[in-house]
Amino acid sequence: MAQVFHRSMNSLARLTVFGLPMLFAGSVLGGTIIYRSGYITGQKEVVDQPVPFSHKHHTGELGIDCRYCHTGVETSSFAGIPPTKTCMNCHQQMWAGSEMLGVVRESYKLDQSIPWERVHILPRYVYFNHSIHIAKGVGCYSCHGEVDKMNLTHQAKPLLMEWCLKCHRDPAAHLRPKEEVFSMTWRPEQMKNPATGEPYTQRELGTELMEKHKVRGPLTLTSCSMCHR
Amino acid sequence: MVRSTDVPTPVPAGDTELWSGLEEWAGTPEFRDMLHREFPEDATAWTDPVSRRTFLTLAGATAALAGVGCSPRMASREKIYPYTRQPAEMTPGLPLFFATGFTLNGITTGVLAKSREGRPIKLEGNPTHPGSLGGIDSVAQASLLNLYDPDRSRQILNKKNNPTAWEAMVGELKSAVGRMKADGKAIRILTETINSPTMGAVLTEFERTYPTAKVVQWEPAGRDNVREGAKLAFGEPVNIIYDFTKALRVVALDSDFLVSDRSSTRYARDFNQLRRTHLKEGDRVPAENELNRLYAVESMLTATGAVADHRLPIRSADVEGFARALAAAVGLTLPGSAPTVSADQQKWVAAIAKDLQAYKGKSAVIAGDHQSPAVHAIAHAINGALGNVGATVLVTAPIEVRPSSPAADLKTLVAEMNAGSVGALFILGGNPIYTAPTDLKFADALGRVGIKVHLGSHQDETAVVCDWHVNEAHFLETWNDGRAYDGTVSICQPLIAPLFGGRSGIELLSALLSETAELAPREIVKNYWRKNWPANGGSVGGFDAGWQLALRDGVIPGTAAARVDKQPAAAGIPAYVAPSPSMEVNFRADPTVFDGRYANNGWLQELPKQITKLTWDNAIIISPKTAADKNIGEERHGTRGPRIESTGGGEHGRTLADVAELTVNGRTIKGAVWIQPGHADNSVTVHLGYGRERCGKVGKGTGFNAYPLRGSEAPWIAVGGDLKKVDGDYILASTQAHWNMEGRRPVRRATRDEFAKNYAEYVKDPHKTALFAKVPPVAAPEWKSIDENVPGSPNEWKGASAEEHEKKRHAGHAHSHDHDHKKEDGKKEEEHSDEDKRLIPLTMVPDTNKHEARRWAMAIDLTTCIGCSACLAACVAENNIPVVGKKEVTRGREMHWIRVDRYYEGTDPNDAANLVTHFQPVPCQQCEKAPCEVVCPVAATIHSYDGLNDMVYNRCVGTRYCSNNCPYKVRRFNFLTFSDWKTDTYKLMRNPEVTVRERGVMEKCTYCVQRIRGAEIEAERQGREIRDGEILTACQQACPADAIVFGNLSDPKSRVNTWKSQPTNYGLLAELNTMPRTTYLAAVRNPNPELVRA
Repeated sequence: MAQVFHRSMNSLARLTVFGLPMLFAGSVLGGTIIYRSGYITGQKEVVDQPVPFSHKHHTGELGIDCRYCHTGVETSSFAGIPPTKTCMNCHQQMWAGSEMLGVVRESYKLDQSIPWERVHILPRYVYFNHSIHIAKGVGCYSCHGEVDKMNLTHQAKPLLMEWCLKCHRDPAAHLRPKEEVFSMTWRPEQMKNPATGEPYTQRELGTELMEKHKVRGPLTLTSCSMCHR
Repeated sequence: MVRSTDVPTPVPAGDTELWSGLEEWAGTPEFRDMLHREFPEDATAWTDPVSRRTFLTLAGATAALAGVGCSPRMASREKIYPYTRQPAEMTPGLPLFFATGFTLNGITTGVLAKSREGRPIKLEGNPTHPGSLGGIDSVAQASLLNLYDPDRSRQILNKKNNPTAWEAMVGELKSAVGRMKADGKAIRILTETINSPTMGAVLTEFERTYPTAKVVQWEPAGRDNVREGAKLAFGEPVNIIYDFTKALRVVALDSDFLVSDRSSTRYARDFNQLRRTHLKEGDRVPAENELNRLYAVESMLTATGAVADHRLPIRSADVEGFARALAAAVGLTLPGSAPTVSADQQKWVAAIAKDLQAYKGKSAVIAGDHQSPAVHAIAHAINGALGNVGATVLVTAPIEVRPSSPAADLKTLVAEMNAGSVGALFILGGNPIYTAPTDLKFADALGRVGIKVHLGSHQDETAVVCDWHVNEAHFLETWNDGRAYDGTVSICQPLIAPLFGGRSGIELLSALLSETAELAPREIVKNYWRKNWPANGGSVGGFDAGWQLALRDGVIPGTAAARVDKQPAAAGIPAYVAPSPSMEVNFRADPTVFDGRYANNGWLQELPKQITKLTWDNAIIISPKTAADKNIGEERHGTRGPRIESTGGGEHGRTLADVAELTVNGRTIKGAVWIQPGHADNSVTVHLGYGRERCGKVGKGTGFNAYPLRGSEAPWIAVGGDLKKVDGDYILASTQAHWNMEGRRPVRRATRDEFAKNYAEYVKDPHKTALFAKVPPVAAPEWKSIDENVPGSPNEWKGASAEEHEKKRHAGHAHSHDHDHKKEDGKKEEEHSDEDKRLIPLTMVPDTNKHEARRWAMAIDLTTCIGCSACLAACVAENNIPVVGKKEVTRGREMHWIRVDRYYEGTDPNDAANLVTHFQPVPCQQCEKAPCEVVCPVAATIHSYDGLNDMVYNRCVGTRYCSNNCPYKVRRFNFLTFSDWKTDTYKLMRNPEVTVRERGVMEKCTYCVQRIRGAEIEAERQGREIRDGEILTACQQACPADAIVFGNLSDPKSRVNTWKSQPTNYGLLAELNTMPRTTYLAAVRNPNPELVRA
């Protein structure tokens, strides 16, 4: 009986048998990579703002405290975007005629909000609260990155749920003393562990701070209704 | 009366212990069939005929659209609009609360309005306000929705229906009234009952400026009879208030004082203080004379009648005869001959009189708003004779700014209008075209008025026939003031600038006066109080400080109406005229939409009415016996009930009501008939407020209009009626059969004596006697079979003899009592393992951490629950619960997270006098061993560390397995996109702390988790524990009766633990081993032994 299939079909069959699973694995892997990429999460994407506000200049160079503008951060879920009045506190005197600040002056004069572009966007079913993170010793830096080095603000972290959970499962890896929460330069090594006399590691310090700040355990912190309701 | 729980077996007709409605009582196959479907409406969705063409279109569209909208990238960035100058008190993300007042029917009730970023999103009771004490009723709660009603009138319209500027309108009106002043033409102002001192002053000023002006007050569901009755008894229109905290015996003569009066919120709180069955000092069951006893004599079953210890159903027209007999029995002589009442009624009269006389000065007789002035006067006289006046019945100066006789005044006004002598008529609020007594022919008379100005929130029936329509500001948009039921004044401050530029009555009239023309409403109100500030109302800082304080607290201290030291006289009571024995027709304001003004309020339309559980409709309500007389409904097992539709591809549960014509005094209306167990025979009740022609999208086409039947000769009770069945039927959406518990004895109940007896036995031997209400985790009959059939019982029990099993069982059982009952016995708790506490240690559900510092739990007291459904309205407002509409309600798809089940108890629905009614609010029970959790394939419902049964919307894929497995039927599924995502105004209204749910997502009560987490964050930030009572769930906060308590189980001193340690505490379906965190305190009644039928 003549062969039904041509010889070349052998290699095609081999290719199919090995190729298809690899294609599948590859697309899963690729999908995962794309899903976590900045393209999807918006990470590191610089957002154009109506006023090219530079955190680098105001925080990094001038050393203005975060809370001068983000006044709600210690009491409210929302850190707050400063009212135009806050800008004008200084800019009535400084750079009062600057072209760049035209939008700000206009807003103040006409009593109309400056339409800032939101940089950190969480889904609507996520209820993030700034105040409790500040109170428990999570630094601004941990989520917002090196804001003091950002000319135009971008989202430093992926803000995926797995990223949130990483800390909620192990807060010790990120906690810092309450007085250092707003610092952009603090590192645990800067502090000495009185027990050993050596510089602190984050693990040692974090474990101590868990106790001190009464941070609740992972079981509590990963309950769904902590963030979703 | 130990009631064990047992496995439900199909119940033969007429043998049901508790039944939700006549369908269940009769046990029709259709009803049982419906129950066996979790979602009876499922099949329906697929019965709509889909043509091949439609199918192909949809299939094509599906293919074409596949992938569209799938981009995981954010479509567009959001914007943030900060303030330009941020108010000092405002922090975005944090709520602010403002004290203001809600006015209805001439009485203001204090509310605290919650504001988020300047938008009022929730109303709560004001604890410092005497009319609220923290509670709020469903109507006040739902009035928030009116603010955001997209159908609200948005502009001022002139005669030609053209939008007009305020200034232009004021100019035209000013010259018009000026002309009339010069010509001596009459100006009339038609308002609702005025209880605002500022409005009173403005009106006085108006009358002074325009001497031809006169004010007429008209309120369709007003309290005229109350006022006239007080006049008869006391000689002047005094205000009568009741102190139910001291009234141990209460007789309600056709009065729904616990729910539907505007003072009910306070009365329900007071009344229930003497109703709690908690053990007294020394673990003693409260004695008979420590609990109050309520007798209700009424026609329509009301919530007050439902919770009464004794209820006598008689025609409303016969209540006067009963009251006179009662007066005679307490030794009063009334003018005219005493009526003769039936032997049965005489028995009641004798028993009640004896009881009242034993409680002189500690009892109260209260007559309903719609009862004749004579009945009110008789009730006052009885109270006088019993020494109650001055003790439980308090007489004060009138709270109305201008006490008047609305019905007579309106008649005079119509006569003037017909004579053509009225030059201008200002209709400030109200909708007289729709509500005026039909015989006055108000619409015709209005045509003869020169200039007609209407101020109203909607372009309603009256607005369209008036020359000018001014859009009215909502009470949260403008300044006002108002007096509470006891006269206390609240300043009603706005929370938001008028959304559509509305104006208030005060503003409109002030604009026509020279002095106040330029003033903002705030200045008008403030100026009035600057002049009239009570001497003792201010603080040390004088008026300005006092004003600020009054704004903050919501009350002006020292403004309660002055006490009047007067005793009632019986001499003024007219002689008795026996009513005709023919059929009577009762007109009542609707329990939800009131006189029709809330017809466009979806929250209220969908709120099941307390007794009938009807939504979206009113009905002609009659008793089963009357139904049989008139051949209405279907006869089943000796009683009349509605038909249940069983056709239509599995769509069940729709009540198919007969339609009938109701005639009285030569007028006829047509409507659906609702057969109501407990209603008096030969009597009909119709609720006003439906059948609106122009009210907006929501209320359009709901119910029938009962006003055309209502004449000025008998506005409340009209005898001589007739009811005739006509062809056709009508589908009513009643929720009484939804989420049915299938006779699993959900409500545990007893009389006080039974409770005392059982408790005494339990104390003697806790091991032998099951407690009154507490059930062992598994009921005794079930125990054996479970033991035999459950494979892999725990090791320690293996091989044990039957006796040992029994011993173990008792050990565990007794322990669970100890655990709940004697908290100090903490050591013992440690010795037992978790398994000991329940009889089925085998479970698929992991244990929640019982050592967790916070374990949330709730207890609901069925003795004090009055079924008012305020909890439901509060839940809707707090949790962004959507309105689904009548059609979806008939499919059982209403979304309310808490339902208030209403059960009848009695062996014959025809026997109205022996019908007992119970209410049971059922939210999610937050089971510790939650059956819903184990079946969810995507872990969208799982336990939180503090024992909450979390529902994660963003995980839910809509399998509905959880709902199938929920024995309490408390889960609600978004079959369609029920939440309104489009209407802009609704977006402002939503609670930003709660997700707005999409289609295909399951939802349920969360114990208001957003409030728990909020309080937790607050406490954690301050490094302290959460205080008991710091977290109030929305239902608990609203409850006027204080029947719901929520708190931390791990805190031994918490209120919820105190409640749960009561012997009356039981878990609903606890035999299923779900270990519900929500438990109930059994319904205990305190009946009069002389009236209990053997």
